[in-house]
Amino acid sequence: MNSDSTHILLIEDNPGDADLVRLRLVESKCPVDVSCVNRLSDGLASLTRKSPSVVLLDLNLPDSQGAETFRKVLEKAPGVPVVILSGQDDEALAVRALHQGVQDYLVKGTITSGGLDRAMRYAVERQALLRSLEMSRKQQLEFKNQFLSHVSHELRTPLTCIHQFTSLLFDGLAGEINPEQRDHLGTILKSVNQLGAMVRDLLEASRAESGKIRIEPRCVSIVDLIRLAVTMVQATAREKQVGLEIGVDTRIPFVYGDPDRILEVLINLIDNGIKFTPSGGSVAVQACLVETDPEFVYLSVADTGSGISPEAKALIFERLYQDPNAVDNSRKGLGLGLFISRELVGLHGGRIWVATELGHGSTFSFTLPLFSLAKLLFPVATYQGQLRDAIVLVKVELTPRSKPRRGNWKDICQRCLETLQRCVYLDKDLVLPPMATSGPDQTFFVVASTDLDRVNIMTTRICEQLEKVSDLAANGKVELSAAAVTLPDSGQNYSLEQQVQEVANSVTEMARLAVRPQQNFTRKQKAHVHG
Amino acid sequence: MANPKILIVDDDPDLRQALRLRLRANQYDTVHAVDGYSAIALAYKETPNLIILDLGLPAGDGFVVLDRLQKDDKLSTIPVIVLTAREPQGNEQRTLQAGAVAFFQKPADNTELLDVIRATLPKPAPAAGLPC
Repeated sequence: MNSDSTHILLIEDNPGDADLVRLRLVESKCPVDVSCVNRLSDGLASLTRKSPSVVLLDLNLPDSQGAETFRKVLEKAPGVPVVILSGQDDEALAVRALHQGVQDYLVKGTITSGGLDRAMRYAVERQALLRSLEMSRKQQLEFKNQFLSHVSHELRTPLTCIHQFTSLLFDGLAGEINPEQRDHLGTILKSVNQLGAMVRDLLEASRAESGKIRIEPRCVSIVDLIRLAVTMVQATAREKQVGLEIGVDTRIPFVYGDPDRILEVLINLIDNGIKFTPSGGSVAVQACLVETDPEFVYLSVADTGSGISPEAKALIFERLYQDPNAVDNSRKGLGLGLFISRELVGLHGGRIWVATELGHGSTFSFTLPLFSLAKLLFPVATYQGQLRDAIVLVKVELTPRSKPRRGNWKDICQRCLETLQRCVYLDKDLVLPPMATSGPDQTFFVVASTDLDRVNIMTTRICEQLEKVSDLAANGKVELSAAAVTLPDSGQNYSLEQQVQEVANSVTEMARLAVRPQQNFTRKQKAHVHG
Repeated sequence: MANPKILIVDDDPDLRQALRLRLRANQYDTVHAVDGYSAIALAYKETPNLIILDLGLPAGDGFVVLDRLQKDDKLSTIPVIVLTAREPQGNEQRTLQAGAVAFFQKPADNTELLDVIRATLPKPAPAAGLPC
C-alpha cells in the first residue's frame, strides 16, 4: 500500500491467524497500522469511531457467523472495502459475499505477503472505482433530468405562440374565417395540443424514473373520479364514434390516493382504449370490489379494439414501447403513457396489468388501496367493547371569497385542518383525512362521539379556534353543521367489527353526499382534455 | 365606465402581442412591460387592475417582482396571475405563497385564463354588457 496512513481493521478471533496476518503485513514492508479486534461488536464499534482504509474480516466470530458477519459490516460501513479471510471449508460463502459488495477474499493458510498486499490494494482501488461509477451515474441521471426540463421549457414558448395565434384566428378575433379555414385551424390546434401533451409526458416519465414524483393522498370517491374522467374524454369518443360505458358499484368506499394522479391514469387508459377501438366499438370503465382482496378496489378499462399480441403484451408497460402492429388511425404518442401509469399506480401501492387476446379487445386493470374508515373509527366509535350510544358527523366547510385576495388558500385550509385536529379529543373524536374536492372549496369532517344536543360544545370550540387562523376571515368563510349518524340495531348477530363497519358506511355515504358534486374541473385536471 | 386595465409582463414580444389581442377582444385595456424592473415602474405609473406575470424575466425575475409588489402598500392590492413556461411542480406553490392568485403553465387554456381574470377583477358596471 502506498499511503502513509493505511489503517487496517482486522476482525479475527483466532490469535494464531491474527498473528499470521500481522506477520505477512510486516513482511510486505508496507507502512500500515493494524487494529485487531476479536468480536464483531467491537469491530462495528471501531467502524463507527474511525473509518479504516480496509477491513480484513473473518466470518466466524464468537458473536456472529457466516453471511450475517459480512452483511453487518457492509451495512455499518458501506464505503469501506472489505476483504474476507475465509477458511478452506467456507470458500463458497466467500464467493457469495463478493456478489453482495465484499471486494475480495483470501483463503487462510494460503496467504502470502505479496497476495495480501495485492488483495488490499485491489480492494481499495476497486471500491474507489465503484464509488466514482455510482457518482457519475447519478450525475448523468441528474444531467438528463436537467436537460429534459430545460428542453421542455424552451419548447413551450414557441408552442404557446403557435397555440395563441392559431386560436386567435380560430376564434375569429383577427377577422372572419370560412368553414374550411376553421377546419384547418382546428387541425393545427389539435396537433399543437398533442405536442404539448408529449412535452409533458417526456418530463413526467423522466421524473418517474428518477423517483421524483410525489403523490398527495386524500380520501377520494373513485365513483366521482371515474365520472369526471369519462366526461373529460367524451368529446374524443364522440368524434371517433366510440361508445363510453360506466359500470361502477356506488357503494365502493373511499380510495386513499392522489385524485390528480388517479385521474391521469384513468384518462390515459380510456384515451388509449378509444384510440385503438374502431368506430362503432365501445370502451367500458368499471370499478368493483373483490372478495379475496378486500383492501383494494379494482378498476378496469375494457375496449372492443383489435387486442394486443403476446409479444407486445409483455412489453407494453415499458418506457417508449409502441406496438408495431397496432392499428392506430390517430397519431402515435411517445409511448410513455402506460409507463407513467404503471409508475403512478405503483406509487399508490397498487398494481396494473392487461388481459388481452388478438381480435378480442383488451382490458387494462389496476388496483388502488381502499381507505378503511372502519379501522380508523374503531377506537373512537367503541367504548368498553360496545358501540357508543350516539355519534355525530360535523361538517366544516371552507369557501373562499369569489374574489381571491392575496394569501395562499390551500395553505390556509391546511392550517384549518391542523387547528381542527387540536380541537378534538383523540380518544372519542376523529378528524377524517381531507376529502378530494374539485374546486377551491374545502370540506373537513369530524366524527364526534356525542349527540346532537351536546355537539355544540365542540362546534363552539372549533369556531373560536378557527377565528384565530390568520388570513382565513379575510379570504373566505366557514360554515359548520352537524348531523347524527344512524347507528345499526345492536342486534345479537352483529359483531362489534360489523357494527363499526356499518357506522363507517353511513359516515362515508353522508360525507359523499355532503360534498358538492365534482362539476368544475380544476386547471390541472382539465389540462388533460387536450392530451 | 372605463375598461379594466391589465399589465402584461413578458419578455417575448409575440406572446405579449397575442395576449394583448385576446384581452382586447374581451374588453380589457392592456399595458406592457418586458422585464422585472419596468414592470414595477409601470405598475406604479399605471396602477393596473390586474397583472399577468411571466417568471423568467430579465432585470428581476417574476419572484422578485412578486416580492416587490407584496411589500409595497400601494401595489400589494393588485392581483397577480402567473403565466409561465416553467413547471408547476414547485413553482405553483412558491408563487401562490408569494402572493399570486393563480398559476398557469403555458400554453394556457384561454377560456380558463379569462375565467380567472373575470373572477378576480372587480365586477364591471352592468351597463357595460361585456360579451364573453
